[in-house]
Amino acid sequence: MNSTSGISPATTAIDAPQDLLIVLRHAPHGSSWLREGLDVALVAAAFGKRVGLLFQGDGVFALLQGQSSGPLAQKGTHPQLAMLEMYDIEHLWVSEAALAARGLPVDSLMLPVTSLEASRIARLMHSHPHTLIF
Amino acid sequence: MTLHLLNRSPQSEGVYRDLREAFGDGDHLLLIEDGCYAALSSGRDAVAAFAGRVSVLKEDLVSRGLEGRVDGAIEVVDMQGFVDLTEIHQRSVSWF
Amino acid sequence: MAINTARVLNVEGRSVALDPEGYLVSLDDWSPAVAEALAADDDRQLTAEHWEVIEVLRDFYRRFEAAPAMRPLVKAVRQALGEEKGNSLYLMRLFPESPAKVAARLAGLPKPTNCL
Repeated sequence: MNSTSGISPATTAIDAPQDLLIVLRHAPHGSSWLREGLDVALVAAAFGKRVGLLFQGDGVFALLQGQSSGPLAQKGTHPQLAMLEMYDIEHLWVSEAALAARGLPVDSLMLPVTSLEASRIARLMHSHPHTLIF
Repeated sequence: MTLHLLNRSPQSEGVYRDLREAFGDGDHLLLIEDGCYAALSSGRDAVAAFAGRVSVLKEDLVSRGLEGRVDGAIEVVDMQGFVDLTEIHQRSVSWF
Repeated sequence: MAINTARVLNVEGRSVALDPEGYLVSLDDWSPAVAEALAADDDRQLTAEHWEVIEVLRDFYRRFEAAPAMRPLVKAVRQALGEEKGNSLYLMRLFPESPAKVAARLAGLPKPTNCL
């Protein structure tokens, strides 16, 4: 599989462009952007599109372990993240700089992801026919 | 390649940072809505990484009283110029 | 999210509220007897084969807090019950018309959001 975990960014994952790239830049709970981006990813996958996700900026907080629902029982996004595999969404990329800026080791996240340096992020975008940013 | 549309002022540093990561060779940046504030000389640092490949939308400058204050290095385009930019680039993405 | 009660099913002396599309208004109302009543309401008879898929769906909801669309339902059934049952033909035969929607209703799940 191309969705590898670990510290080596020199994988072939970037050479596996999907039909649609969804960029997630917002943290869980504070706004609905993350949930909406994930909903679009799931709908596209339910209709047979191959979907890849790029976590950038505060979007990397979506991958933290140990999340739960909100204090007023608002649904979190972590069950959606866990469900990606059931929709065959397995290409998960993350900004290496966004993780580093937040002190998050790539192997501490709830899902296996491939971390990318900036130049590879630009290439990732160029390799996808469609990109949506949330 | 890609036309990036950005509608936040440089006060939203995170979105400028994420855009810098995603900005590739042959890409172009068009500043719209509150993105216009990055076209002032005070916004020079925010858009330095896109030098020579950044434009700002005239109509949004005018409504904000910014038309005469644009940094000389940034090209001003009108709505027709916006349309032309979307036509010469393969795809457009929006940053907000 | 306010859900309208369109009608009420009587199950073992309790009132079970259904929304306009026949899904449970309150997911906590579900019990095997409610599933039987929902099936009877649809002129369906639940067999052991139905029940094992219903259990897969309830487990899916416990894990992911969502009802699956068709593709992930097939995948979940395949993982739990094997290749013979984890395919759309088998599920279409068990739950004609729209397996993801029909089976979610019987399992007491909300209507799948990511499917037509």
